[in-house]
Amino acid sequence: MPAHPLRAATAIAGLGLTETGRVYGRPAADFAAEAVWLALEDAGLEKRELDGLIVNQGISGGPDLSLALQLGLPELRFCTQLNAWGSSAAQMVQVAALAVASGMARDVACVFADAPLRSGEGAGAAYGGPRGRAKGMAGLAAAYGYGGPIPWYALAAQRHMDLYGTTSDQLGAIAVSTRAWAAGNPRAALREPLTLEGYRASPFVCEPFHVLDCCLVSNGGACVIVTGAERARDLRRPPVYVHGMGQAHRFDLGRAERDCATRTPGVESGAAALAMAGCTTADITMCQLYDCYTYTVLVTLEDYGFCKKGEGGAFVEGGRLGPGGALPTNTGGGELSSFYLWGMTPLSEAVIQGRGAGGARQAPDNRRILVSGNGGVLNHHATLVLSPEVV
Amino acid sequence: MKDAAAALPPIVEPDERSAPFFEAAARGVLRLQRCERCSAWQLPVRRRCPACGSTALAWADASGRGTVWSHARAHRASHPALRALLPLDLVVVDLAEGVRMSARRAAGSPPLRAGDAVVAVFEPAGEGLALPVFRRA
Repeated sequence: MPAHPLRAATAIAGLGLTETGRVYGRPAADFAAEAVWLALEDAGLEKRELDGLIVNQGISGGPDLSLALQLGLPELRFCTQLNAWGSSAAQMVQVAALAVASGMARDVACVFADAPLRSGEGAGAAYGGPRGRAKGMAGLAAAYGYGGPIPWYALAAQRHMDLYGTTSDQLGAIAVSTRAWAAGNPRAALREPLTLEGYRASPFVCEPFHVLDCCLVSNGGACVIVTGAERARDLRRPPVYVHGMGQAHRFDLGRAERDCATRTPGVESGAAALAMAGCTTADITMCQLYDCYTYTVLVTLEDYGFCKKGEGGAFVEGGRLGPGGALPTNTGGGELSSFYLWGMTPLSEAVIQGRGAGGARQAPDNRRILVSGNGGVLNHHATLVLSPEVV
Repeated sequence: MKDAAAALPPIVEPDERSAPFFEAAARGVLRLQRCERCSAWQLPVRRRCPACGSTALAWADASGRGTVWSHARAHRASHPALRALLPLDLVVVDLAEGVRMSARRAAGSPPLRAGDAVVAVFEPAGEGLALPVFRRA
């Protein structure tokens, strides 16, 4: 079978990451602009060379298309806003790669920023849902006590536990291995070692989830610049080539027979990305997976085919995902321990690892990096296979 | 806990489209929309049946029976008015009518797990409102 014509046709040539975490007093658009400037400098590109811009905003409002004005970009050939929640970052790279491959644009900046944390407020307040009186059937969930995303993901994890016997300690194994990676990342918010005992002692938010099953909430911005493979070789940093791309979206539509919770669109998205990259899970040397919750990692590994359905719990035990493990996963500390900029968290770490720039946390083999994005309640999925190798 | 719930300020406010649901719940009946053409039950409330495209949707009494899809125990209140009720036992039920309903386990009733058969009962939710909740059948 001939290689996919777009395999390694484009590359990520620039990465910009602002300060992340409890950084107050700056609107999201300000983080976005800074991230673009940092990515340009990282790539060795002049701002005037940029001819494509894709903007993804978080929950705090902004950035939007006025970012072009803020950056001083007088003319662009490709400019749009995109949002599919946590799958947006991988989707931006996909759309940018298509724009570059078609010749619609040459250098496309893909930027996400958010600033949901406010001084004096807890992280829970940012994603907590409405406080007022909700109207009609739409208000029912609030009346029962469903607010924000945590209960919905907790229900998904609990169903997996009821169906397959997955245990709390197995979810904890993901929190522990992710924290072990965070120790090697100076940017990570939580770097102190975590044991399974420490995980068990962390308070429940919504059973089966402890606090430590849930990601951080962070302010900050991130940008990657996608360009053609040949052009990327002439730029400042080693290219990280886009080998595979996939997307899939599934909804339960309120129907009893459907189940996105234990069988996500990661199945189709992962298969599409691996097929385009011409490889299988056996070729994947590390994973950067969307870890809004520990469970998201477990179900994504199953749906990508690293293990059988229902066996994700056993798969993540024994340090397989941690430093020194057979499948290094979320090597920067992920959204659980480092910072939460939606899909930019796994994507940015994939770029760092793909360049071999991970320092103390560099995983031994970066030849095929699988990156996931997940949005909604396991509804929207996007996958990338990235590599420093051209073939 | 029932008394505590009755004393709470209501979080939800019926509107024109949802009035039949809340009116029925107040008298202890689970009532949902149903397509008059293809008989598909609807949740959420809709203007057009996604199964057949018909706009002829009418309200009908549901059985109140179903099986547990999943469950979770919330230790934090998503709304200040729910603090007195913590922890909240959330339960999502696949109703016999083929729709999935997010609700709560009936106060004081035994724990549930996925696949358990359940039946709807009704708990007061302030200002004469009641909400269907589920207990083991």
